[in-house]
Amino acid sequence: MRRPGGFTVLLALCLAITLTFLTLPIVAIFLDSSPADLIRSLGEPGALDALWLSLRTTGISIAIILLVGTPAAYLLATRSFRGKAFVVTLIELPLVLPPAVAGIALLAAVGPSGILGGTVESAGLELTFATAGVVVALTFVASPFYVRQAMAAFASVDRVLLDASRTLGASESRGFLRVMIPVALPGLVAGTALALGRALGEFGATLMFAGSFEGITQTVPLAIYDRFSTEFDAALALSAVLVAVSAAILLSVKLVHGSEVLGGAPR
Amino acid sequence: MKRALPLAAAVVLLASGCADDEAEGGDGSAGPTRLVVSAASSMTEALQTCAPEFERAENADVRLSFAGSDELAAQIRQGARVDAYAAANTSLPEELNGEGLLSEPVEFATNEFVLAAPADSEIDSVEDVAEAGTKVVVGSESVPIGSYTRESLARLPPAQEEAILANVVSNEPDVKGIVGKLTQGAGDAGFVYVTDVNATGGDLKAIDLPETLAPQVAYAAGVPTEAREPELGQAFVEGLTNGPCADALAEAGFGGAP
Amino acid sequence: MLRAEARTRLGALELDVALEVRSGECLALAGPSGAGKTSVLRIAAGLVRPERGLVEANGETWLDTERGVDVPAERRRCGYVFQEYALFPHLSAWQNVAYPLRGMPRAQRRERSLELLGRFGLRERADARPRTLSGGERQRVAVARALARKPEVLLLDEPLSALDARTRASAARELAAVLSDVEVPALLVTHDFAEAALLGDRVGVIDAGRVVQQGTPTELAAAPRSAFVADFTGAVVLTGTARPGSGGLTSVELDGGGTVSTTDPGEGAVAVSVYPWEIAIEPGGEPRHGSTQNRLTAEVVSVTTVGNRVRVSLAGAQPIAAEITLDSAERLGLRAGARVTATWKATATRLVANRTEDP
Repeated sequence: MRRPGGFTVLLALCLAITLTFLTLPIVAIFLDSSPADLIRSLGEPGALDALWLSLRTTGISIAIILLVGTPAAYLLATRSFRGKAFVVTLIELPLVLPPAVAGIALLAAVGPSGILGGTVESAGLELTFATAGVVVALTFVASPFYVRQAMAAFASVDRVLLDASRTLGASESRGFLRVMIPVALPGLVAGTALALGRALGEFGATLMFAGSFEGITQTVPLAIYDRFSTEFDAALALSAVLVAVSAAILLSVKLVHGSEVLGGAPR
Repeated sequence: MKRALPLAAAVVLLASGCADDEAEGGDGSAGPTRLVVSAASSMTEALQTCAPEFERAENADVRLSFAGSDELAAQIRQGARVDAYAAANTSLPEELNGEGLLSEPVEFATNEFVLAAPADSEIDSVEDVAEAGTKVVVGSESVPIGSYTRESLARLPPAQEEAILANVVSNEPDVKGIVGKLTQGAGDAGFVYVTDVNATGGDLKAIDLPETLAPQVAYAAGVPTEAREPELGQAFVEGLTNGPCADALAEAGFGGAP
Repeated sequence: MLRAEARTRLGALELDVALEVRSGECLALAGPSGAGKTSVLRIAAGLVRPERGLVEANGETWLDTERGVDVPAERRRCGYVFQEYALFPHLSAWQNVAYPLRGMPRAQRRERSLELLGRFGLRERADARPRTLSGGERQRVAVARALARKPEVLLLDEPLSALDARTRASAARELAAVLSDVEVPALLVTHDFAEAALLGDRVGVIDAGRVVQQGTPTELAAAPRSAFVADFTGAVVLTGTARPGSGGLTSVELDGGGTVSTTDPGEGAVAVSVYPWEIAIEPGGEPRHGSTQNRLTAEVVSVTTVGNRVRVSLAGAQPIAAEITLDSAERLGLRAGARVTATWKATATRLVANRTEDP
């Protein structure tokens, strides 16, 4: 076997450093405290509340993002119009906003003294410091992740397939559902995974916009922050759960659609 | 098409779960009434202890939210519909009252402002923390503990005040943040309440400050005007002076109502 | 019958065509890339709307820009075979074929698809995904899919160009059989004249957005109306200046040297064409007398065997290609660099339009 050249060794070294840097903190979560302590901390009522709240709000948020974001991404990917680049930049904006700024922006928009505050109130909706507000915050920060990916996925579908669908008698909406979405599915799934991860881990905007009320708006990241000063074990336990859930999402996405979705070689 | 149906069903299911959460259980229905309480971080252990008793006595479901009193006040200004607000000073409740957002505040407890350090620390006086290189942790300016701290330090000779302020390594948003930094070894000393030191169960020690330096720490509470359950909120506030919560506060080291 | 007329600007191209295809007939539009052939198909299918145009299929008006009629593509009953087949990758072969079938239960759709696939010999591959099918199989699935709901018109975009040479021959035969079976008008486009000649009952040569000549393949080859058509149909094209000559013939002085005669009348700057298989080769550079009248000396550039014929590439003042039998080639002992004489009859020499008219 040929001895690896200097360049290969350098590449391997960089990989080793990256790997260690990224995995050490995650592994430490599980090792810093005994499994018994971790499980016990999870049993505390606040922890379970936080978990259930996180799952519920993330689930609704993702559902909204998929239902509304998919057709929007399709429009952006397949049509051109004046000002399209500007529209796309607007949609991507939350990506570069610091989460706390996002929270303040949401307050300025739909908070009680915000520009749409009156409308929200007369509609009988309660957003700030309420569970619905968590959904709003999660949707705001996570949707660009999905929409961008979905746009790329739709744009990469050969348009001739849509032409074929039309010549075979299917209306554009049928073509969208029966051809575009299935063919773009790997990209859509990847986008969903990204949005899901972002929503699960969302902290700053939620804290600002919805506060940290146990069982109402205290999602897992907020619960971790709450416990970190005084109940470090509880914070560790919740962190471990979040890591486990995120890893599970990543793995299931890979399994369902093959490694091509998240970094494997293209077919 | 086939994909959209289960997705839509999931949304409806989750949304209904979300709605249920917001629904009120009071007024004759069998379920407990939800009560949302915002309280200063220093009351965390005490209120967590007494809440179950209150829940039993009033058929309530108490949801507690602890943070710096200033942050909680900001939330109320932003429209948070909490049913009771208890702060670590009197000025914040009075401000809210003046803005028409809170009922007339009631003073329900006092606390002792102390210097804290890890139990095995060599630090045992205010002069020690003026020494260069000492890592001091304080509350940020707007949170009660932070303003008490600055008020107290202002009573020191200017040179000492400057030296201590120069040693500040972190401005925490609430007392739990300060305690956390000290117990994790990120700070050598910090200014907190004696109740916080008690809550650490021996990890920290409290260093009493001379009378001249100790500020008056009075806790006040009220019922926000936008409360969903104002009557229940009022019951909770009253319970801070008289009742299981008052007892829990006393046990934690709070002084009685002035 | 299919009537398709369009006058429109497509990028840099000015498209101006008017075609008629009778039921059961296949019109093959042949031309170089960029000539606008695919655009004609897309206009007929409704995927592109021309500035001015008319599309009528079997009495039904699909497009009439003057009256504001524009039936959307999904409501025109077209069977369109795309150049790269455009098979849906996430569906199996039978599901692809069943895609246009609506209003019947799944079992019936599957049955009908299998039947269609069976006619193309693909029944056992019904459940295969397109990526596991060979090029030829995919082509057949594409055709089956286009025919699935009995279209009014069949449109084919370079149906054989994506196949390798070997598969192309058998696929061409199959497709020709399908086209003769089908009772609706078929419009096919290709860049290869031989393919057009094989599959089309009539061929239209299209260049730069215009149909320059329409007719049976033989007509086009025998009487090309322009140098372009001649060249496109595979003739040797030589440029020169013509003037009336003796014996009723026209004498053409070729650019670069040499003279040929043609029975066609003409004057001025012209192009003459002759087919490679009408050119004979004699050894040496010396004129000899025979019934052939046109003689040009040239040097052999290459000798290529194609089946049982030999294509000889010659360089005279202008390039010439000749096709002779293997026998002749052996007798002549041709080698690169040898000096020979290319000879052919004046009657086989077509005088095609004055050069200035060529695009």
